Amino acid sequence: MKKFTKRKEFGIILIILIMSFILTIVSSAFLKADNIIDILRNNAVYGIMAFGMLPVLISGGIDLSVASSIALCAVVAGKIMTVFDTNIVIVFIISMLVGALIGLINGLIITKLKIAPMVATLGIMTVTLGVVLLYTGGTWISGLPEYFKEFGMAKLGNIPTKNGLTLGIPSQVIILILSGVVTWLMLRYTLIGRGIYAIGGSEASAVRVGYNVDKIKVFIYMYSGIMTGIAAVVHTSIVQQVDPNTFLGYELTVISTVVIGGASTMGGVGTVLGTTFGIILMGILQNGLILAKIPTYWQKIVMGLVILIAISVDVINRKREQSKLVRVDVEG
Amino acid sequence: MKKKVLSALMAVAMISSLLAGCSSKTENSSTETQTTETKSTEAQTTETESTESSYDIVVMPKLIGIPYFTQTGEGAKQAGEELGVNVIYNGPTTADAAEQVKMLEDYITQGVDAICVAPNDAAALDPVLKKAKEAGILVLDWDTEATKDLVDASIHQIDDQELGEHLAQKLVDYMGTEDGEYAIITGSLSASNLNTWIQYAKEYMEAKYPNMKLVTDPVGTDEKQTEALSKTKDLLKAYPDLKGIIAVSTPAPIGAAQAIAELGLQDQVSVVGTAVKEDCQEVLADGSLDLGCLWNTQDLGYLTVAVAKSLLDGNQLTDGMEVEGFGTIQVSGDKNVILGPPEDYVK
Repeated sequence: MKKFTKRKEFGIILIILIMSFILTIVSSAFLKADNIIDILRNNAVYGIMAFGMLPVLISGGIDLSVASSIALCAVVAGKIMTVFDTNIVIVFIISMLVGALIGLINGLIITKLKIAPMVATLGIMTVTLGVVLLYTGGTWISGLPEYFKEFGMAKLGNIPTKNGLTLGIPSQVIILILSGVVTWLMLRYTLIGRGIYAIGGSEASAVRVGYNVDKIKVFIYMYSGIMTGIAAVVHTSIVQQVDPNTFLGYELTVISTVVIGGASTMGGVGTVLGTTFGIILMGILQNGLILAKIPTYWQKIVMGLVILIAISVDVINRKREQSKLVRVDVEG
Repeated sequence: MKKKVLSALMAVAMISSLLAGCSSKTENSSTETQTTETKSTEAQTTETESTESSYDIVVMPKLIGIPYFTQTGEGAKQAGEELGVNVIYNGPTTADAAEQVKMLEDYITQGVDAICVAPNDAAALDPVLKKAKEAGILVLDWDTEATKDLVDASIHQIDDQELGEHLAQKLVDYMGTEDGEYAIITGSLSASNLNTWIQYAKEYMEAKYPNMKLVTDPVGTDEKQTEALSKTKDLLKAYPDLKGIIAVSTPAPIGAAQAIAELGLQDQVSVVGTAVKEDCQEVLADGSLDLGCLWNTQDLGYLTVAVAKSLLDGNQLTDGMEVEGFGTIQVSGDKNVILGPPEDYVK
């Protein structure tokens, strides 16, 4: 138990438990299977992008281009579907390729031109947004094919509920879980994953140990791009049309989700588990504030406060551990 | 580290200003070449047809690149062609008042005849519009109001009160009862036009149907369809007796309708709202959206140019006056021109 309270994720788990407890008391609708599934489905897009952003933040970088690249991926995927007779797998692959390409450009600018990630991805964000607006003129793409609508409503499991609908795990949630698992495996069990933590800890040491830092960095941004490509198709499968302007501000939501989950923008720390809790906390906040019947104008205040508390607990925990370390050093 | 962060931030600021500079410049130059082209072609036609010189009319939206302002632009350009005036339709790529000021300064220097602007922030545009007036340029606002004293005419897409009351009345009609719970979802809690419609809808409801109960304050959806979808679902869980939803801002009714469709509540819950005709066809067809309504966006652009030209010709603004290319117009107050009643889109 002591070990549990010392875990980095402890603060956020505590907040989630407290909030869930309160929400279960004030709203009978909160702790129900269909509501939990809704929360996960509604946040699948942010979640998948957050899993892509996590390695970037661990490495000490940042990717501001995700909001524009999800727009471009969604527009390309939407066009492909409306123009060509194709299938869902091809749509995913093309969207992921577009995302990977943007990631590759980000990575090359950062490693070859040695431009700071914030500046490089900001530039790419603006260019990509320009391409999207140029191509679409801001118009929506609708009239998506039937197989895509089926994919959007597809569920694993088929438990009938009393209001005539069925309950199951939606396709979007399955993809969210898969993205989390793949990211976890990548960070934990591959050399690249170890390398990402090493770069975030100290880039100079990572080079000395023998990691190919440039290659790993390019990979990180491509990974973020690929996840963005997946998120684009998932988003489109939920809303069933492409509005190129809807993704404005996504990068901030995604980055704050990862940071709430215990990752640091300074690099070196962050886990898939933490990010998962970050996604859950953001989802519960959005959903719970309405279920708890909190007046709209108060919701933003409450939301900001909860996020602040979650991050403070985390930071205070870490500070305490560090001060202990220092004392040991002095005494020893 | 601090220095590093600072230098990174400064670099960001520099790059973004550079980028902003580039984009607006290229846009300007492209429109300039366009206008010079149209000028030369028009010069030829006017020589043969009449001796009347053509006006340069700037029509500036809040931003370019969204469907709404793309359509108003089409209408404005069409008016330009039909009425024989040069329409320069240009605006910033983000809804930024400072960017509008810069662009307007450029147009004043160029010496255009009329400026019609949809301000992102009325107060921020005061000095530049004053400058335009002093330079003898006709100033109009459209879509959103600028400061009243500075404009010669104000083009309104709709009578705000009429739209708000229309939405409320239609919701009651579709719910088929005057006694039930309803909710309002909105694009943004800080958008003044949306808040005005909501205010009129609420007041109308309270006065005419006192048994209709608004379950909570308007819920913001950040102009995003996904947000409208999830918030509608949450509202239905929090208020199981909810029977009607008014959705303002164009993505909101579509997201709300999707939630209704996913839950199979087409026959239990009514949704009415403001939606662009082309974008709401699918949800109208499956019965999840009962009514979408909006003004004709192209006509709004057309009317703006038509009124500007009429005033440049020396006509006085009066109610029921005839405007070339548009017909009779409705004027309320001394300078509010109103496009007309809302257009309804139903299955």
